[in-house]
Amino acid sequence: MPRPEQTIVKLTIDGREVEAIAGTMLVDAAKQVDVEIPYFCYEPKLGEPVGACRMCLVEIEGIPKLQTSCSTPVREGMVVNTTVDRVLEAQNSVIEFLLVNHPLDCPVCDKGGECPLQDYTFGWGRGKSRVIEPKRHFVKPLALSPLIAIDRERCILCYRCVRFSQEVAEDWQLIFTERGAHTFVGTHDGHPYVAPFSGNIVELCPVGALTSQPYRFRARPWDIEGAGGICTLCPSQCNVEFTVRDDKVVRVLSRENSAVDDGWLCDKGRFAYQAIHVDERITEPLVRGESGELESASWEAALGAARAIAGHRGRGAALVGGQATNEEAYLLGRIVREGLQSHDIDSRLSGTVELGLTRALAAPALQATVADLEFAHTVLVLGTEPVDDSPILDLRIRKGVRRNGVKLAIASARPSTLDPNATLSLRYAPGSEAEFLAGLDAALSGTAASDEFGALATLLKDGGEDVVILWGESLPAQALPTLLSIAGKLGLTDRDGAGLLEVPNGTNARGIREAGALPNAGPGYSEVQAGRNAAEIAAALTAGDVTVLYLFQVDPLRDLPARASWDAALGKAAVVVAHASVLTEGLARHADVVFPAESSAEKEGTIVHPDGRLQRLRAAIKHPGEVRASWQVLVDIAKATGVETGILTAGMAFQQLTKAVPFYAGLTLEAIGGRGLRWPETDAAAEMPAGAAPAPAKVQATEPAPEGKLLLGTYRSIWASTEVEISPALAFTIAEQLVELAPQDAIALGIEHGAAVQVAQNGTRLAGRAAIRTGVPAGTAFLAAGIAENSANALTESIVEVVKA
Amino acid sequence: MPYEPGPDVIEVMRHPAKGPAMSTLRVFGETLRGMKTTLARVAEGPLTIQYPEEKTPVYPRFRGRHKLHKFEDTGLEKCVGCSLCAAACPSDCIRVVAAENTPDNRVSAGERYAAVYEINLSRCIFCGYCEVACPFDAITMGHDYELSDYTRSDLIFTKEMLLAEPLERTPLRTEGE
Ligand code: SF4
Ligand code: SF4
Ligand code: SF4
Ligand code: SF4
Ligand code: FES
Repeated sequence: MPRPEQTIVKLTIDGREVEAIAGTMLVDAAKQVDVEIPYFCYEPKLGEPVGACRMCLVEIEGIPKLQTSCSTPVREGMVVNTTVDRVLEAQNSVIEFLLVNHPLDCPVCDKGGECPLQDYTFGWGRGKSRVIEPKRHFVKPLALSPLIAIDRERCILCYRCVRFSQEVAEDWQLIFTERGAHTFVGTHDGHPYVAPFSGNIVELCPVGALTSQPYRFRARPWDIEGAGGICTLCPSQCNVEFTVRDDKVVRVLSRENSAVDDGWLCDKGRFAYQAIHVDERITEPLVRGESGELESASWEAALGAARAIAGHRGRGAALVGGQATNEEAYLLGRIVREGLQSHDIDSRLSGTVELGLTRALAAPALQATVADLEFAHTVLVLGTEPVDDSPILDLRIRKGVRRNGVKLAIASARPSTLDPNATLSLRYAPGSEAEFLAGLDAALSGTAASDEFGALATLLKDGGEDVVILWGESLPAQALPTLLSIAGKLGLTDRDGAGLLEVPNGTNARGIREAGALPNAGPGYSEVQAGRNAAEIAAALTAGDVTVLYLFQVDPLRDLPARASWDAALGKAAVVVAHASVLTEGLARHADVVFPAESSAEKEGTIVHPDGRLQRLRAAIKHPGEVRASWQVLVDIAKATGVETGILTAGMAFQQLTKAVPFYAGLTLEAIGGRGLRWPETDAAAEMPAGAAPAPAKVQATEPAPEGKLLLGTYRSIWASTEVEISPALAFTIAEQLVELAPQDAIALGIEHGAAVQVAQNGTRLAGRAAIRTGVPAGTAFLAAGIAENSANALTESIVEVVKA
Repeated sequence: MPYEPGPDVIEVMRHPAKGPAMSTLRVFGETLRGMKTTLARVAEGPLTIQYPEEKTPVYPRFRGRHKLHKFEDTGLEKCVGCSLCAAACPSDCIRVVAAENTPDNRVSAGERYAAVYEINLSRCIFCGYCEVACPFDAITMGHDYELSDYTRSDLIFTKEMLLAEPLERTPLRTEGE
């Protein structure tokens, strides 16, 4: 639904004139004129108010009884009093009632010091209680999940956590059990509350009933400092606030930015900060010594060893991982193109897209924003699973569907967790994306090959003009011209509130591309002599045409398909230089120099959100151990290869970038600030080179798998990341090989849910556990990629055999 | 320009008038007056306290070096590591890092205890706010005032030092003393 119209109404609160947007609740209107009304249960992020706590009572002239200001919208001419005796008396009583059963164990409570109940008791309470009866008691503390501790005595039954679980995350796990004074929060059968967004309830709880296990007793509010930052663990790029104590990150809170994250975080972003301060992290340079093992070395030794790449002019290549900043990608581009006089740099690891098409897909006129997902008429999720690939968008889509009546269509190979919310869910066979899009394109032109296509075309065409297509980077390149044609047919170009939004595989994929880390595009999608892409680099390494490989926060054995051929290719390389924070398998085996990479809490730089919003990373803590700023290392390496960058600070690197990328012209770090700035909305956006979409190619139909074999699809779980692997608190989530099978196939193969299975192909065998999932189309199996062991990238063909182990 | 004192400025005589007699008085007279006081006290005996062999007794509410307390019956620490003392401290010299009690390692009576409790006594102004803030009477101001040391870092008192009894007790003033 399009964004609602806004009208202004005038009212009086405590004698002050207020102008508020119609529909605003009284508490919020009061805030505008610095009148504080205490409240517990009201939280606009959770949707409609419920009026559960009664703390926010106010007097409205003309209405005999006190009203809850959290659920009373402003009306023209209203006169509201918040400080009359009647209201004070009510507030006193509510506090007194809440404290009847509250243990008031503030000194041992983790919320103490930042607790609304403490503050309101102090500010609006009587200071004395008339109740002398014993309070209720529960066993405490209890683990609600490995991440969250629950102290049921402290709960004031405000419903916030339950509403989050039921109405925002929609995992329906949390409920109130028992009645009256015995009510407590829990799950249906007492199982742990494990969900991708569970950590948000800790931040929501207005008392110390729900506290974070990893942060338990770590610090008090006066021991800590908050530092704004960005989570760089997925393309959602949520805004976060790092809680820093003694130069260590001890907690991550959300820093609400409605244009990006809506004030939520996923558990990966909230708890994987632990990876910053664990022993597994690389905090000093490593160089492969005489013995053939990686040994810690001084920076001089490591830089000296890395300078060897300068002797391989014309034969160097670089792969850029998604966590690189724009500046780092830009510097890597200069090292490869100017220093090593090569053209082989790639960051789009899922395959190269023609330059004209890349430009057309990134065209400012065609970009939808994150907020558009919430206000569109129809959202089409295409070839991506938001909860895994960009978790916070999952919540945004749910919000749109639930609150604004957005119609959701899903077209994917793998069943989606959003399916129950969708008006229409279509499945295609893995690998047949191009075929599917061609079918949809034809249906939009009026020749639907099947009813399904017809229904989807009708939904997209007739459901309203504002259509947002959320598409995954993994769509094959040959499907993308069709995607553009579909966007054209739906009139998404130049339409506010509609457009395409990509879910890339890497956090800063968009910024890295714009900074020029593509084989066929320089900074600002400029035309350059084409080089090799990732797959071609592997082939060239094996053939000896490329001898030096620079791996920036990427491990081909972990992140790229065709694991075996990469293993061989890396083995052939003369010098492999890597930046990494965890010594993953490929680096441990093949890297000659490993520089410690920075975490997002230490970095200075800029990144670009998939919707074009530049966001700024700021250093919240100083570098642990020997870690150095990566831009600095890259500047040193550039110098060794003969490129005088003249860069002395991170800010200078950004300035050079804005000069190199025409559509970043005029951007400054100040303008980007804490909330980010969308370059497609700036004047410089006109400088973006125009795209040229090639005509959609003819596609061939995908063959179904032969009898007894299954078609292979892959997915990357939200937990598949090295940061999660080394965070002790998230150890319970570590992604393993879950082979998703359709119930029919499982029965035919005699495999039970949770049973050990083997996936075989051409002599490669992967061990995994079967996960039988309704919705998986018969004849397909979905395997996890990006995990430490038994990852699907060991398989190269599209047909697999699944057998009982 | 010579200084012109106004009419309300009075001239004060700062010394006995000049002359032999008055000069003699000036040299010896005042000395004798002082000697009178001294000699008059000879009979009282010495008042000097032979510090450090002898210590000045302090009043019971004297605010000296802090003490942390344990429960006498259970031997558990009273401090639960709530950091309220650190919040109250105006010179920001208390550092508390809390940790969780486990059944095998029970340190305090509550859920949490102070794993690190340090007071930097070279910054402390002995205001006693920490004592007032503590909800468990875990920290009190003691009577020790002997706090000199060779290095500043030795003046950071750890939890063990604060829990331990002082090597020597500071004498308290008795009533009427
Ligand atoms: S929830 Fe708030 S009021 Fe209750 S014990 Fe904790 S700090 Fe105190
Ligand atoms: S646990 Fe916290 S958020 Fe949930 S109902 Fe109780 S007080 Fe509210
Ligand atoms: S006595 Fe005062 S200055 Fe010293 S530690 Fe206590 S609160 Fe701080
Ligand atoms: S001494 Fe008292 S106020 Fe300080 S941390 Fe311990 S219990 Fe809290
Ligand atoms: S905030 Fe209004 S009833 Fe809870």
